[in-house]
Amino acid sequence: MNAPFFKFEYFNSEVSLIIAFIIGIAFGIALEKGGFGRATILSAQFYFTNMRVLKVMFTAIVTAMLGLYFLSVFGFVDLSLVYLTQTNLLPMAVGGLIAGLGFIIGGYCPGTSMVAVATGKLDAMVFVSGMIFGILVFGEMFPGIENFFNSGYMGNVTLPSYFNLSYGLVVFLVVLMAVGAFTAAEWGEKKMAAKSGKEIL
Amino acid sequence: MKIFWAELSLNKKLATIALTLGLIALFAGDPYGGTTIKVNEKDIALSTVGNADKVIVTELADWIIKDKSDFELVDLRSEEKFNEYTIPGSQCIPLPQISSSELQRNQKIVLFSDDDVESSQAWFILKSKKYKGVYILDGGLELWKEKVLFPKAPINGGKEELAEFEKMKEVAKYFGGQAQTDSSVAETKQEIKLPTPTVGTTKTTPPTGKKKKREGC
Amino acid sequence: MTSITKMITHAFEKEEGHEHVHREAKPYSNPYLVGIGLGLVLLAAFVIMGRGLGASGALSTAVAVTVNTIAPEHAAGNNFYSEYIGDGSTNPLMDWLIFQTLGVLVGGFLSGTISHRVKKGIEKGPRISTKMRFAYAFIGGGLLGYGAKLARGCMSGQALSGGAVLNLGSWVFMMMVFVGGYAAAYFMRRQWT
Repeated sequence: MNAPFFKFEYFNSEVSLIIAFIIGIAFGIALEKGGFGRATILSAQFYFTNMRVLKVMFTAIVTAMLGLYFLSVFGFVDLSLVYLTQTNLLPMAVGGLIAGLGFIIGGYCPGTSMVAVATGKLDAMVFVSGMIFGILVFGEMFPGIENFFNSGYMGNVTLPSYFNLSYGLVVFLVVLMAVGAFTAAEWGEKKMAAKSGKEIL
Repeated sequence: MKIFWAELSLNKKLATIALTLGLIALFAGDPYGGTTIKVNEKDIALSTVGNADKVIVTELADWIIKDKSDFELVDLRSEEKFNEYTIPGSQCIPLPQISSSELQRNQKIVLFSDDDVESSQAWFILKSKKYKGVYILDGGLELWKEKVLFPKAPINGGKEELAEFEKMKEVAKYFGGQAQTDSSVAETKQEIKLPTPTVGTTKTTPPTGKKKKREGC
Repeated sequence: MTSITKMITHAFEKEEGHEHVHREAKPYSNPYLVGIGLGLVLLAAFVIMGRGLGASGALSTAVAVTVNTIAPEHAAGNNFYSEYIGDGSTNPLMDWLIFQTLGVLVGGFLSGTISHRVKKGIEKGPRISTKMRFAYAFIGGGLLGYGAKLARGCMSGQALSGGAVLNLGSWVFMMMVFVGGYAAAYFMRRQWT
């Protein structure tokens, strides 16, 4: 069998839209179950009182990364066909910074705001309208910042190729880093909880 | 050992599994896999039926004039030859690099070189990598020069053939060539380097099909 | 060796006194299990479609299409909008991300309903008014929309999906998100704590 299935044309793009919908449902369920539909939980990350965001996000990354890695090594998946966004170093760094500010000020990120909207949170709806506004501003400003937007182009670069390490080694280091982060997060949460006497959701 | 495992909390179990997998990953090797391919020879033989995978030079000329952009034109020759003269709108992927190119499987790819040999080789390589829309420019650049750049007037031609020739005269002019009305002129074959702005530029790699919708988030 | 194991073991233990307080809504699942679930969904997307998940892209398409409907020449002349509109050969709304995002809405609603967590409400800390919360939500959304577009993706697309394939730009983005979040957390503490 060859994967990614779509890239080998096992089905056409209309079917892929249905698949998108189904995957989206699973995505939404996972986010909601994780408590990510709530800004109070999401923002608690940045006050060290509830490190769910870190835990869920990095666990997800590690899971998918390991899955993809081993499936590729066994020849089941053609990793070179999996989409890789190009890297534009400075714009992504700056964009990340701005997005981080938006995250703590607004309390959501695009995906989680959808879940929050679906569970009736009014502030999430305001957040989404804010996002639309932000995208519009970006679009209108685009001709002026187009050069910056395209600057720092590095093509499609992965961590292994950039640091000249084997893919497996980077996988191992990421797992190590994640488990280390989780350990620190658990320790930090307990410390904060003991200090304030509040329960961890 | 078993008791040790059973007494670990769920979280610790998960952490152990993750670390173990990570450790295995250290030694498991390169995920970009080998370069061996499985070839379904019946499949490939079948696709040659009816010359369905060939493109005629005049057809291609037509597409270029009509500014059709739904295909990728690939010049398999060396970069020097590419820079000397190439069919407008083509990108240079020398044959040795064809298997590591960034061509997408869902694109229509038209291959050409000086004659049919290299384009056939590239065709086979791409077909065995399960590319579906691979085509050979029948006759390659030789035929392109003969039929498109320097078309010869038909001797004893009927009305249809003469009309066809008139059309080819315009096509030849478009590509910077010249129709041959006298057989002796065929000797002075100059390669006319097209000033690329007039007919279309060779593609650069960063935008993968500017006109298509972006795949991303 | 054993002392390191003991240290890690100790850190993962849940202390007795801090179990979930009883509430009408069901408590949230173990974050690591949720993460695995999310990771599997992401993996499915990679294996089936050869791409990851996303969120901001759907909104961008919606914005671009709206702008295109109101002012087509303006949209066509703008490289950002035109990228989301395509060349007119396919309907831009027939977009993978749009369908995926619709799924997220449905999935979030379903999961919330089953766990009795769908309730009209406003998420905010105890020390801030609703009006201010709305103001911050709007501003935060604006910043996020802008930043996500600048970085060609948001948490779902860049951090999560790009992170799993070890994309350099994605990891840089992810790190900077945490930097930005923690940097501004102090100034936002009124809103949340």
